[in-house]
Amino acid sequence: MTDNAVRIHGVGKSFRLYRERNQTLKSAVMRGRTSVHEEFWALRDVTFDVPRGSTFGLIGSNGSGKSTLLKCLANIYHPNTGTITHRGRIAAMLEVGSGFHSELTGRENIFLNGSILGMRKREIARNFDDIVEFSGVEKFLDQPVKNYSSGMYVRLGFAIAINVDPDILIADEVLAVGDLEFQDKCFEKFRALRADGRTVILVSHSMSSVRQLCDRVAWLDRGALRVVGDAHTTIAAYEVAVQQGRQG
Amino acid sequence: MNYLREVFASRELLANLTAREIKGKYRRTVFGQLWSLANPLAQMIIYSFVFGLIFRANPPAGNPSGLNIFALWLLCGLLPWIFFSTVITLGAGSLVANAGLIQKVYFTRITLPLSIVGASAYNWGFEMAVLLVALSIFGSFVLPWIPLVIVVMLLLAVFAAGLALMAAVANVYFRDTEYLLTIALQIWMFLTPIIYPMSLVEKASTDVGGLLGTSVSLIDLYRLNPMYHFVEVFRELLYDNRLPDPVQLLVCFAWATGSLVLGAFVFRRNERNLAEAL
Repeated sequence: MTDNAVRIHGVGKSFRLYRERNQTLKSAVMRGRTSVHEEFWALRDVTFDVPRGSTFGLIGSNGSGKSTLLKCLANIYHPNTGTITHRGRIAAMLEVGSGFHSELTGRENIFLNGSILGMRKREIARNFDDIVEFSGVEKFLDQPVKNYSSGMYVRLGFAIAINVDPDILIADEVLAVGDLEFQDKCFEKFRALRADGRTVILVSHSMSSVRQLCDRVAWLDRGALRVVGDAHTTIAAYEVAVQQGRQG
Repeated sequence: MNYLREVFASRELLANLTAREIKGKYRRTVFGQLWSLANPLAQMIIYSFVFGLIFRANPPAGNPSGLNIFALWLLCGLLPWIFFSTVITLGAGSLVANAGLIQKVYFTRITLPLSIVGASAYNWGFEMAVLLVALSIFGSFVLPWIPLVIVVMLLLAVFAAGLALMAAVANVYFRDTEYLLTIALQIWMFLTPIIYPMSLVEKASTDVGGLLGTSVSLIDLYRLNPMYHFVEVFRELLYDNRLPDPVQLLVCFAWATGSLVLGAFVFRRNERNLAEAL
């Protein structure tokens, strides 16, 4: 227990699949009901531990429940069954730059976004230079972010999120942003976090980045846990299964 | 208690979100904050013309202030109303408008509707300050009443916040709540003595007598409307310069507390499901 940053125990999450959903009072009254739906289990009885200080990867095909699991970890969804316990502060990077206000400047948005991610003003001020340097937008800091290129926008968002200084960082497919140079920076940052004893949980479809970064990997398949263990063997098993699926 | 602590811990976020609403709104406009006066001024001109000049809804002169200017009398009730209805309309949309944020980041959700209350209160404060200056210029000795005015303003903000919390949740499940609210608020405004004086209602009430053969009079129905009490209290303080009936102040306090408690309860029960429901 002492060495686990996160324990996921028997977690299941169901969603409603709507065949009919009346989202206005008018239609609800006219149809006499609010919805017709069936339950769909996006996650079923998932159990594994994430050791403290590890970089942990989640892999699986589209729709396997990776993002749902991350959202449960990030406290955005609440699992229907099971429990998730964690030690330390969690920061989730599920989408970068959400919460930017397009009329406000880069500088103002750093403070706004930082506080949405749970940082105190003092912390943001302390990390301000790191954030600016990491994002590489210092020249445009006092421009409204609506004038930013999409790359600058994402880089600034990423820079803020990664400087939250969490014990556990959760990242969903964010490695795909920015140019090669920026990606290198991100990789370096992830390694620095690990060297610092921080735990990183990330989702990626790029097996090469997962192989480079992660020491342990969990493979999810249609909402259930298939394999969890050492990165290389798990990825190899996944790749074999994908190949077989293609042939079959 | 835990929840209160969580909300308190998010005060910086609340301040930043409020600043986002305030700064984002009039940023890069020539007149900036002055725009927030445009809407009340336009309404003041329209109502003063129609109800002051054409219909001659002569409100009694301020007692003891002796003030007798329809436009000022109107604004004492109209500015609180505009604040109230802005908080409810914008507050109702606050969760849906930030759906992207709610689905991607965890933070104390209640800060979203509360930031609308904060931003609207900021604009309202500005409008009220201008009104205070105007009242003083035209001879209302309003200065000693300012502390009590601020207390009642806080009460109205709390009352509006409670309703906005409920409206915000309702709007997540039924997206047409916003539009229904616009209609409801319009009806509500005309049922509140804002653009016509209570003296006319009293007269009508005695003329009609008991409604539908009961002993319930029109005035009794008016008293059920919380905004009636707020508007009356504001007018007594600002326009008449006299101490309102303590019972009426208590009624305002009761409505404010009740609304906030119910609103916070409804919001708390639903906030866990927001990310999915959106």
